[in-house]
Amino acid sequence: MSVTEYDVIIIGAGVAGLTAGALLASRGFQVALVTAGEPTACLSTGCIDVCSGNHNPLAGIKELPDAHPFHLVPEKTITESLDNFLKAMQEMGIPYTGTLAENRLVLSALGTFKTSCLVPSTMKAAPQDTRDSIHIISFAGLKDFYPGYIISRRPNTEFSVYDAGVASTMGIAAHFEEEDCLERFISWLKGQNVSADRIAFPAVLGLESADKIVKMLALRIGKPVFEIPTIPPSMPGRRLFNALKDYFRKKGGTIYWGWPVSGVEKSGKIIEGVTTASKGRPNSLNGKSFILATGSFVGGGLVAGRETITENIFHLPVHVPGARETWFENDYFSFSHGIGRAGIIVDSSLRPDGSPLENIFVCGGILADTEILKNGCGHGLAIATGQRAAESCMECLR
Amino acid sequence: MIKADVIIIGGGATGCGIARDLALRGIPHCLIEKGDFAAGTTGACHGLLHSGGRYAVNDPIAARECYDENQILRRIAIKCVEQTGGLFVRLPGDSKRFRELFLRSCGEVGIPTEVISSTKALDLVPNLNPEIEEAIKVPDCSIDPFRLCMLNIRTSQLRNNLIFTRHKVTEIIKSHGRCIGVKATDQSTGEAREIHANIIVNATGAWANMIASLAGCEVPMTLAKGSLVITNHRLTNMVINRLRPPSDGDIIVPNEAVCLAGTTSLAVENPDKIGIEAAEVDTIISEAGRMIPHFNNTRIIRAFSGVRPLLKSQKMDSHEISRGFRIIDHQNGMYSIVGGKLTTFRLMAEKMVDTIMASFNLKRACETAAIPLDGQEELSGYPLSKRLADMKDIVCECELVNRKEVERIINQTGTRNVGDITHRTRLGMGPCQGGFCTFRALGIMNDMSVVSPEQSMAMLRDFLQRRFRGIRYALWGDQLREEQLVEYIYLGILALEKPK
Repeated sequence: MSVTEYDVIIIGAGVAGLTAGALLASRGFQVALVTAGEPTACLSTGCIDVCSGNHNPLAGIKELPDAHPFHLVPEKTITESLDNFLKAMQEMGIPYTGTLAENRLVLSALGTFKTSCLVPSTMKAAPQDTRDSIHIISFAGLKDFYPGYIISRRPNTEFSVYDAGVASTMGIAAHFEEEDCLERFISWLKGQNVSADRIAFPAVLGLESADKIVKMLALRIGKPVFEIPTIPPSMPGRRLFNALKDYFRKKGGTIYWGWPVSGVEKSGKIIEGVTTASKGRPNSLNGKSFILATGSFVGGGLVAGRETITENIFHLPVHVPGARETWFENDYFSFSHGIGRAGIIVDSSLRPDGSPLENIFVCGGILADTEILKNGCGHGLAIATGQRAAESCMECLR
Repeated sequence: MIKADVIIIGGGATGCGIARDLALRGIPHCLIEKGDFAAGTTGACHGLLHSGGRYAVNDPIAARECYDENQILRRIAIKCVEQTGGLFVRLPGDSKRFRELFLRSCGEVGIPTEVISSTKALDLVPNLNPEIEEAIKVPDCSIDPFRLCMLNIRTSQLRNNLIFTRHKVTEIIKSHGRCIGVKATDQSTGEAREIHANIIVNATGAWANMIASLAGCEVPMTLAKGSLVITNHRLTNMVINRLRPPSDGDIIVPNEAVCLAGTTSLAVENPDKIGIEAAEVDTIISEAGRMIPHFNNTRIIRAFSGVRPLLKSQKMDSHEISRGFRIIDHQNGMYSIVGGKLTTFRLMAEKMVDTIMASFNLKRACETAAIPLDGQEELSGYPLSKRLADMKDIVCECELVNRKEVERIINQTGTRNVGDITHRTRLGMGPCQGGFCTFRALGIMNDMSVVSPEQSMAMLRDFLQRRFRGIRYALWGDQLREEQLVEYIYLGILALEKPK
């Protein structure tokens, strides 16, 4: 068994883990990030929701229920972390738009508005009301996008269908990365004689170069162009993940990809290392401090059994919102299903409550009482608590 | 106003079977169903084509009927029946005396049995509990109740009889004390229809008393709720029964890509108000887990209940009430047919139509047992290879349904309901329970201008609420993960609703 030594070991490659990792690595710490695979961020819209219930997200945070983990992060850390995020994404070539003072609207694939704080530049030109007319470009065979849904919500909406020769989200995105394909598309689009105010696309406009492609299309057609987030697989989610991952590596972090944690080595109240089930042989990664950012149920950080809910790496105490029958309400659209409150309760340094372990910090979706859908706080909370967990680690290492 | 000789109310197996029998005997009829075919008890059963073994001890007449019908349906409904065979397994502690009684009763009824060792049984079904004492082989099969109804009704449709689904009967029209017709409302448009006939057949199963009361009649019945769970894959290729007196959680049936396990039996008052308790789900899983241990940690994708319309009896435990059926002549032009089982639906229809023929003074013998169901030649049947033949434009990845198939159903039925597509193609019946493909199916209906964009949004909302009723009692483990993802898609990515 090989053993490697680090200052900090982070488990989970989602927005929280990568945010924490980048900060620690940029401050000169030796950081390893281990992950079982791709994070749920790849399934997301790429939008950074901070607090969608209030016109002003920063003010909205203050109104969240007392138990919400956002209250554990000082306001200064929240603003700093989101500033860091904006700079990092700018540096990685996927700029974001928005401020903590005001939420923006993103047109959804159903024609409704999704409220978010920081949005990818490719969604910047989305209309902020129902007045502007829109021309939607759909793609032949693309099974996860139907303009009819949007047309039902918006007057003055029309659409045309382009045959890219491929039908999957990923395939079309790759198609747009090819210069001659893009040119062929532009000449087709010019032939459509679009009269609407704006041109909308499902989010398939390239993988690495989406920002450039959107700007180029807008310039060549002479109209604002924007993307509409799609159901998974989601290009904006994947772009976000790739950028965060590359940024972390650029700062000097190491990623152990496809290495699910299979064991923990402890000495009393101190975690000394984690064992990972990698191909060939088990590997031990030793660290002085640990960050758990494995996400909620979808990410696999929390596991629901028939009786209870567990965290299966460090076996931290999990806050379980009552017996199984209380996890869900009868109304699907209640936004208040008990399960949304499940997770790890932490103190102000994000150390787990009720656990004797001293050198572990928890951040992101695995935290208790987040109620992410109700509060509209997904990636925003991950960024803020990721930064907070990194700061706690630094204090711990000092 | 529409005129027919016979009106059938109810589009479950019994109603569809009666329609086919009438069609083959040349009697013009009209069938009215308030939802879709097989939407009630028929579609909520475990899809077992009984060998009769389960009833041999307590109800030998019903057992014999089951066995005979089993043999008939294997011949006439070849694309609905999978000839799985069945095992009755005896676990340590299960009564040996019951085993003797079971074998003797099956012998008396005429159901072929073969006692096999546990080793042989494990060869047949490797997932079986290795501790079983022995197993008894019986000719159980699995049957697709949705397809069965669709194919039965096909004969009526081909002969230009009128079939109204999504029509709710609101009134039984009477004249001089006789039932002469019904008024029904189209559930999607609100349009009212009046249909007249000489005879009205009430084949509404658990709802029979409600319909009878519209004509001032009564149908004495006991309603027993039975709950079932569905796994995400097949844990057995044979039907597995527990060799003991009928009890909760004593059967596992493989069906298409999944397994169904059940059932429970609880008396209920109103067939429209049935829920499932977490405890029922736990009971089924732990009992099924005794026969197939892997059941305890397999993924459950859905839990649901159906209501058995049983003949009224003094017996308190509904497991013991006869599964036989009865035709009630209300002496006013209306008949109710209640009780029975999915397995004996054809026989029930035959007896019902015999009665109708007698009242019309017509003589034409029943042919339903001899003629195969119409429309089977165009069906693929189960083999996956046939479904994979056209992998283009897959809409439902779990059940491999492609766009062409969805479009075909929409064109063929003119449906405006996504549930109708599900019942005909299995779209949305897999692990994600329609989480991904319903968005697509409604999008396709939208593209084809079958529904307006506004309607498709409302239908999406309605679908998600109904879907949730089926899965909320099976939410833990991977199914809970899937559900959280689906919730994130509709409420997070698509912003279908906003928090209140």
